Amino acid sequence: MRLRHIYIGLLGLILLSSFAVIQQNEMAIDLQLLTTQTEFDAGSAVVLKFSASETIKPMLYCSSSYGSTLVSPSTDGSNIIYSIPQNICQKTGQVQWKLINTMTPLSGQFKITPKQEVASMETYIGPPSIDAGGTDYAMLVVIPTDSLDNPLPENTLVNVKHQFLSSESSDGVKTNNFIAYKNIYSQQESGRMLVSSESLNTNSKEFTITVFPAIPTDFKIVEKRPHNYADGNQVTTFKTSIIKDKQDNVVSDGTYVSFFITNDKGNSLKTSGTTINGVATAMMIHPDYETQWTIKAYIDGMAESEVITLNYNQVVEDFDVIFSKNNRAISVGPIQSFMRQMIPDGLQVKLLIYKDGKLLNTLTKTSIDGFVNFNLKPNSLKNNSYNIVIKTAGLEKSFKAIQLW
Amino acid sequence: MVSLNKNIVRIILIASYILIIALIISGISALFGYLNTGADRSAMLHTEIKKIEQYSPKVVWSPLANEGRPIDEESLNAIENDYLDAWYVKHVAYKTNTTNGIKDYYTDNARLNLFDFIEMNSNENITIESTTLEHHPTLEFFSEDGQLAVITDKDVVEYKRMFKAETLVLESKEISTYKIVLLLEDGFWRIRHLVKESIDDNDVEHTKITTDNLNIKGINYYPQATPWDMFGDTFSKDILAKDFEIIRGAGLNTVRIFIQYDDFGKADVDQDKLNKLKQTLDAAENANLDVVVTLFDFYGNYDVLDWTLNMRHAETIVTSIKTHTALVGWDIKNEPNLDFESRGKANVIAWLDNMISFVKSVDKNHRVTIGWSNTQSATLLKDKVDFVSFHYYEDLENLDTSIKTLQAEISNKAIVLGEYGMSSYSGFWKPFGSSQEDQANYHKKVQEIIAENNLQFMSWTLYDFTKIPKEVVGRLPWRKNTQKRFGFIDDNGGQKESFKYISKQ
Repeated sequence: MRLRHIYIGLLGLILLSSFAVIQQNEMAIDLQLLTTQTEFDAGSAVVLKFSASETIKPMLYCSSSYGSTLVSPSTDGSNIIYSIPQNICQKTGQVQWKLINTMTPLSGQFKITPKQEVASMETYIGPPSIDAGGTDYAMLVVIPTDSLDNPLPENTLVNVKHQFLSSESSDGVKTNNFIAYKNIYSQQESGRMLVSSESLNTNSKEFTITVFPAIPTDFKIVEKRPHNYADGNQVTTFKTSIIKDKQDNVVSDGTYVSFFITNDKGNSLKTSGTTINGVATAMMIHPDYETQWTIKAYIDGMAESEVITLNYNQVVEDFDVIFSKNNRAISVGPIQSFMRQMIPDGLQVKLLIYKDGKLLNTLTKTSIDGFVNFNLKPNSLKNNSYNIVIKTAGLEKSFKAIQLW
Repeated sequence: MVSLNKNIVRIILIASYILIIALIISGISALFGYLNTGADRSAMLHTEIKKIEQYSPKVVWSPLANEGRPIDEESLNAIENDYLDAWYVKHVAYKTNTTNGIKDYYTDNARLNLFDFIEMNSNENITIESTTLEHHPTLEFFSEDGQLAVITDKDVVEYKRMFKAETLVLESKEISTYKIVLLLEDGFWRIRHLVKESIDDNDVEHTKITTDNLNIKGINYYPQATPWDMFGDTFSKDILAKDFEIIRGAGLNTVRIFIQYDDFGKADVDQDKLNKLKQTLDAAENANLDVVVTLFDFYGNYDVLDWTLNMRHAETIVTSIKTHTALVGWDIKNEPNLDFESRGKANVIAWLDNMISFVKSVDKNHRVTIGWSNTQSATLLKDKVDFVSFHYYEDLENLDTSIKTLQAEISNKAIVLGEYGMSSYSGFWKPFGSSQEDQANYHKKVQEIIAENNLQFMSWTLYDFTKIPKEVVGRLPWRKNTQKRFGFIDDNGGQKESFKYISKQ
């Protein structure tokens, strides 16, 4: 009899417990969100509170901007509490949550909004150098972020300030897509432009945009020479006028200028220089015979100068040629310059040897103390009669049928 | 006598000499060959491109109307590549709770947020298998110096599976909108800010296609000479045309064919194979046959991070033949329930569910099914497929009951017996196998049951085969030889007895 009671009692317990299980499940359906706030400032603690009379503990799924996780509950009397992890509370964006393992899926969303403060002004500026003239520009991009590295909401005012020469200006730009940007145009002048920005009383550091002069305009050249004789010794210096862009800014130092010289035979010479304070200087040694130079300077692809012409006068009027030692020693000179002074060392003298109208050999020497001596060696020139021509300083002397022995 | 003996000795000596020399030479050449492997001249300078496709969700850019500098295609591609890679490394990081690769795709500040999550999840023993299936980015801003870009990625379809202590606790498909600031650093477009603007569950209901007018009386088809290699080098339109005529002549109206995932080039589908597939459908159309195309044959990964590649594969194939009149439906996967044990049932089901939705989103006009290998599994995903198909190789005694049970559970959809058949092999490897007569009786009986239950069917298979690849039933000879004799037509092209019952005339 007693056994039966125990048996019935046991059965009853089992029944009850199964009932309890069912109740538990029903409770799960009754879980209700008590937290009504759906917008939180970044960094504030987010706690989701659910009412539930039974102690069931489903986990909470949470998905935020950067990732997802599962949150385990804690209880507070009759309520279930989920403390959302810090790294979710700190980053802005829409967060979705879902209670899992419950009969009816309970889900919802809340939003983390950025703090209304600016902790850093992340600034990007580019390109770092632009041309003067008002058409070229650099772009300033600012991402104002709060102390938790969240970008601020749309339409946050950012003041973009810039200083150039005597002007200072400040423009309000509103953020859109997390960023505020402004194109900063150059003015007529070249120089350095300083840029900074400010939002909600936080200022960025200083940035510099270099405004380079625009492309150079055409210019003039002048020449300077110690005399106008073609002595093959002195140097003529060419100088440009101050080269400027169309806004009158002096071009950057180091602008490369090429000078092209054409003489009256149509041959070209080239020399070059780079500008300092807008002026480029280049040099060329004088010719050693009478000629006319036409000079024009270029900045490749951008600008060119006017043409100037220079005349060089003949300095050597005549020279003597003396044959000795079986006509194999030839002395040329004295070669005299414009004041009858001996020509400075280094004047080129050529000796050409012809036989029956055919050029056999060319000997080239430079003058020393106004003279040049040639020695015709028997090894290379056999005893015979030759025509000999001597050329120097644009002059030419011929000697027919010189007998060598 | 003596000289004979001498000759024998001589012959033996010479023969053994030749043999030894041959052995030595072959040994040396084998060694030489071994030492030469890997020394491919073309690989000497390591100039080959190593990039392999590992993540390719669908990306649809909105028309460009960005603020700032107009963007060129190269820059946009660079942004897209790095942005997708950023997603990929994030998926891998949350799956393994490691930080590999994150530094390349997130800036100093942004990566901290990921590290926080990884640390938290790893402490809580939470892992996440996730992938994104679709992106719809809009370029909002591109800076003048080309170093900063802002994009809004709308309707990002994210699939996630949350594990706590290696137990699946949640499966979730979400559709979110993100706003992203990217910076070009060290040649990488890195994520600087990432903000989720909106999120919602992604429940896409695809329209069901009724099966009222579906009438499949068909057969599973492989060419006799090239079973399981239908679209290989020996592909022949003439053979197909001839075979399809035989099938049509036997009173059938449908063939079921198989597309192997690897064979068709995985995510990057081989155009040549695709053309052969189209020719196959053309041949079926000429013979007035319908075609059930079985996708993903021999595929068995189901890994969440593999999904995007699978989807590109399916997208290419489905798009290219979805308008073909011979097409009657898609069989997403042949006998996926066989992978339940090795790959995890949840993985496989989730993969199938996703793939059904995807194929339906690409092709809204054709029915979709899954070729389950038994009746027990056939009710899985029954609400997702348009018609249910199952295979049956068990005892015919129970077929009727099984069908009745299935019909009780699936009342509103057509049920197709997608594979059934009997081997007529009886020989050394299986002395008590079935004869051709047994096979004929089997088919006769099946046809009766089919008729009785008003079932649709596709039998296995038209031909006896001479060679079976090891991937099909393994290497064991008794299995291989059995598999060779399922046909209605034998090796020599003669009709077996069962041919009479290929369909109910």
